[in-house]
Amino acid sequence: MNPMRPWEALGATRRAEQERLDKLEQRVLDLEAEISEMRRHHLRLAELTDVVQELLVPMATRDEERIREAIDQFSASI
Amino acid sequence: MSRNLGVQQVDGHGVLLDRPDEGAVDVLLDGRRVWSFWAQRDTEPGAGRGERLASWPAPLRRYLDGRAHVVVRDPGDGSVHFEGEVVFSEADRRVSVVNPEGAELGIDKSGRLVPTFETRGREDIDALVRAVGFVLAAVRRAGVEPFVAYGTLLGAVRQQTVLGHDSDADIGYVSRHEAPVDVVRESFRIQREVVRVGYEVVRYSGAAFKVMVPEGDGHKRGLDVFGGFLDDGRLYLMGEVGADFQHDWVFPLGTAVLEGVEVPVPARPERLLEATYGPGWRVPDPVFQFETPVRTTRALNDWFRGLRPGFKNWQRRYALRKRELPQRRPSRSARRGKRAALSTDAALVLDLGAGRGADALWLARQGLRTVAYDFVTFPLDTLLEEVRGEDLPLTVRPLNLTELRSVLGEGARLAREPGRKVVVAEHLLDAVGPRGCENFARFCSMALRDGGSVHAHFFVGATPGVEWSVGALDADEVAAQWRAAGARDVTVVATLEHAPRHGGQDDDEDDDLDEDLDDDAGDVVDEEQGPDQRDGQGGAPRTGQVLRSVVLVGEW
Repeated sequence: MNPMRPWEALGATRRAEQERLDKLEQRVLDLEAEISEMRRHHLRLAELTDVVQELLVPMATRDEERIREAIDQFSASI
Repeated sequence: MSRNLGVQQVDGHGVLLDRPDEGAVDVLLDGRRVWSFWAQRDTEPGAGRGERLASWPAPLRRYLDGRAHVVVRDPGDGSVHFEGEVVFSEADRRVSVVNPEGAELGIDKSGRLVPTFETRGREDIDALVRAVGFVLAAVRRAGVEPFVAYGTLLGAVRQQTVLGHDSDADIGYVSRHEAPVDVVRESFRIQREVVRVGYEVVRYSGAAFKVMVPEGDGHKRGLDVFGGFLDDGRLYLMGEVGADFQHDWVFPLGTAVLEGVEVPVPARPERLLEATYGPGWRVPDPVFQFETPVRTTRALNDWFRGLRPGFKNWQRRYALRKRELPQRRPSRSARRGKRAALSTDAALVLDLGAGRGADALWLARQGLRTVAYDFVTFPLDTLLEEVRGEDLPLTVRPLNLTELRSVLGEGARLAREPGRKVVVAEHLLDAVGPRGCENFARFCSMALRDGGSVHAHFFVGATPGVEWSVGALDADEVAAQWRAAGARDVTVVATLEHAPRHGGQDDDEDDDLDEDLDDDAGDVVDEEQGPDQRDGQGGAPRTGQVLRSVVLVGEW
């Protein structure tokens, strides 16, 4: 077996170090993307909840007048 | 000790400084501040070593006709660093920076030439303070505790007046909720309450909106309302703030005096001012620019923003031509839409992304009951006023395809309207991004419950030089989306090629969007022939990347 020469060992260490840094950088980017994905659900969830509360609930009453009013009011407040 | 500004010269080019100390500089013409800048940040190297030239801002330059008594001063201590008569042109007149309505103008912190408070009269400032009171009351009625924020808070705390260089007023509140989802829901609810008491509201994001307060002269003044929340010792206030903060720095609210009127402020206003403007907030800086940390911007973007991408650009684009009626010929999708509506006896034609209303107007003039939809509606409202005498079956409604509530609300209304409908979408899908396309399909599925058809013309693939285009569309993907939303048959009925665009071309200046999108400018490479189909224009040799578009028709 060929023993590694000192400069070769140094090069290998540097490469390993760079690889580790690259992986860490990628991991930070991934984490940022994942956090962003999760954060974006807040707005979507709020929109959906608002629709359920302001549109679907009145519709469940099957009262035509209330439904029409709910749709009008909802549209006017967006 | 006073700062060194080293003012060398003031002339038609601007203000020339020699090795100036950094910081804000005011420029006054005939005793009135019209412009401020930072001595290093906002200047360019001059001809000589160490010289810095602050060029007159473009909006101001065209007013520099005649002569003026110019003063250059340090806004911090008011010390004057230059004073003299400057001749800008041969004209025998004083320079007058006044708009057609007679209001004196100044450059505000965003570089716009607007009537700032220092150029407005007492009456105007009183009207603003009254409007602040109205909005505070309306927001308070919705169950949160509003206070004056940003520049309005700074003015109230530092000098008990509005800031001279400011041009609007801001209101903020800190929610009792800790999760952004609840903060957004609360903001929706506050908006409903404010609308209920009679104000028009324009929403910017999930946590900020503008309340339009009518003034005596018929104009509406927009006041921004920014929502915020505290979570685990950190405050986020929509707009620009993200900082470690304590609950008792906000509550219970205190008061400050603004133009002689008591207004609510956070318990420790200096803490919020420091979080907003940094530790130097006590020193006046008419050209302060936010350097919001990336962490804060990213968080606020993710939680609250993205409800109406591109809105300001479209507003700006239409504002330039708002007084002209659209002239262009009906688009390909409108012509197809008309044929479909007549042949199937459709009850309603829906023109989505109607823009300035050329297609909607044409469709209504064909006797078809038409609804023009867009998220920027003022050009359509103007159009309606212009053609009022024609008594057309045309209505205008707002629709924002990137806001789910807007899509579901309008979709629910249409789902209850009986009869077949025809949807026309001329260069809409290529301008609204993936979420807009998804919501378009959702909207169609709701609107076309009683059957009907969709006629959409859009660019496919890359669109170099088309400034308003968002992403690259694939006709098959759009077709799949429509099928998933209930379309029984989707067909590409025409494929067109268009001459390359000039990269970076500014459509606002010299290019009417309606002309820009006139699809007859494209060569038809493949089209199903209809009874009154026109051929494309001749194929001149072209260089650069050719743009491709398709007309997609879906049957529901």
